[in-house]
Amino acid sequence: MIRLDKVVKSYKIDEETTFYALKESSVEIKEKEFVSIIGPSGSGKSTLMHLIGLLDKPTGGEIIIQGRKISHLNDDQISSLRNEFIGFVFQQFNLIPKLTVLENILLPSFYARKKLNYDPREKALELIKRFGLQGKEKSYPNKISGGQQQRVAILRALIMEPKMILADEPTGNLDSKTGTEIMELLKKLNEEEKITIAIVTHESDIAKYGKRIINVKDGMVVK
Amino acid sequence: MDYFLFIVKSALEDFRRSKMQTFLTSLGILIGVFAVVTLTAMGLGLKKYISDQFDALGTNTLFVAPGKLLQSGGFGASSLLGNRFDLKDLNRLKRVRSVTAITPLSSKSGTAKGPKKSEFVTIFFSSEAFFDISGFEIDKGRFLDKRDIDKRAKVLVAGPKIAEKLFGSISEALDKKVSIDNVSFTIIGVIKSKGGGGFGGPDHDSYFFGPYTTGFIFDPDKKFIRFAMKTDENINITTVKEEVKNEMLKRYKEDEFSIVEPTEILSVVNGIFGIMNIVLVAIASISLLVGGIGIMNIMYVTVSDKTKEVGIRRAIGARKNDILFQFIVEAVALSILGGALGLGLAYIGILIVQPFFPAYMDVTSVALALGVSTLIGVIFGVLPARKAANLEPVEAIRYE
Repeated sequence: MIRLDKVVKSYKIDEETTFYALKESSVEIKEKEFVSIIGPSGSGKSTLMHLIGLLDKPTGGEIIIQGRKISHLNDDQISSLRNEFIGFVFQQFNLIPKLTVLENILLPSFYARKKLNYDPREKALELIKRFGLQGKEKSYPNKISGGQQQRVAILRALIMEPKMILADEPTGNLDSKTGTEIMELLKKLNEEEKITIAIVTHESDIAKYGKRIINVKDGMVVK
Repeated sequence: MDYFLFIVKSALEDFRRSKMQTFLTSLGILIGVFAVVTLTAMGLGLKKYISDQFDALGTNTLFVAPGKLLQSGGFGASSLLGNRFDLKDLNRLKRVRSVTAITPLSSKSGTAKGPKKSEFVTIFFSSEAFFDISGFEIDKGRFLDKRDIDKRAKVLVAGPKIAEKLFGSISEALDKKVSIDNVSFTIIGVIKSKGGGGFGGPDHDSYFFGPYTTGFIFDPDKKFIRFAMKTDENINITTVKEEVKNEMLKRYKEDEFSIVEPTEILSVVNGIFGIMNIVLVAIASISLLVGGIGIMNIMYVTVSDKTKEVGIRRAIGARKNDILFQFIVEAVALSILGGALGLGLAYIGILIVQPFFPAYMDVTSVALALGVSTLIGVIFGVLPARKAANLEPVEAIRYE
């Protein structure tokens, strides 16, 4: 589904020094997989995640998504891929504070360029019901708990019916009980809805949810 | 449409969160629009007022004034040349057959002593034809007639404003005596209000009108400042002008007098106001420019405040243009807010000055004010918005 082929991410610090956030790495995530990307902080796992999520462009190598080379796509096409193909879940939840729960969930649908074969508002309300957020539709993010916020973020990731959810330390800001709930939820999505899940974490407990683990260390993918 | 509403809502939500900041930012535009609209309203009002004054004269009216009127800096300049014409000229012009009515005009300013109080007044001395030529209507009593002229009667027709000032009310003034510079006059009539006055325009409501023959009491030289005449409707005004000119040329050189139609004066007035408007708009534009820079400044602050939000929006699929549009809409909303407030304030201001000044607001200035503020929002919003749109998604989302 998505393949990183000898991908490099480096930053020029000055004329002579180049910092390699990610050294030549090749990774493939297959459809319906649940993958955990694990590594200590500063290992390059977030860089890897940003590359998989098309938020960042590699300085070398190629990313191939659904058979299309990213280097051949323009910024708008890449934005559309992020919109339709990938759902993001972040450690900081990253909801927009001035929008309500419902509006946050609907946000990706406003940016959709393709015609949806469902009504996003109906879908959002259905998701809210299914994931136990009834009554919070009109609440603002700062008025609900962290666990609820992360669930809103997951629903926002689901609204466009993506093929893949990318979660960057999804439990990092939650207590362990809530964290487990969120992980169970992701597991369920993978098993029942066949959504590909890739999570980034430094906690081995969380990483265990993955059926495959990708280890990142010192900017290198170690199988 | 949904998308547009969503963007506008996103922009307005921000304003609700920081009312004071929003207001201060739009203040520059507010002042600019207020200035443009108020000043043009006053200019327009004045122009309309003056036009109306001349419109009352009708199309078949001519003035003969000393000097080169329209070339020597406007209408008012002729009075500086003083009283030039005399009875000989009057009699000559009376002989022009296409002139149906003629009045000489001279004026005298002095202190009028009424029973209530004293006022500094101006009397216009004319013939009985003046009232018809000027389009006056009588309210109480009567106009001057030929007998008043022949008998050099010490009678006056009063404007309603001065009648009220000196005697308390219009009906009180009728048949009363008033002493102006120690000459006693009887008031035989009061005209209907012609309105206006104030800045620039002649305030007929505050004048007295008397027989020109009586005016000679104050002027032993028996001179006039100008002639006003009505011409035969069936004869082309240019022909009449030529005839009047030929008559005048018998005594004067060509550059010693002018023959003017109200429409010519009007075109001069229009010219002056055209220039005035350009100057006013230029001055007010500076304020709009400053306001625009204020908006640009606050938009740069907003962009850096919202870096993270931009990152989030980009991550979930917003394109560069979506972000660009969002910030431009926000800048335009700020600017239109200022424009609308400025317009509202100008409207109130115009209502306040209207009793003293013929201010007049038209649709064009409203449309212009709102159009210009939208344009300013776009122009000064585009750079900050581009900055936001060009943020790298990954950098933006990491921003704290």
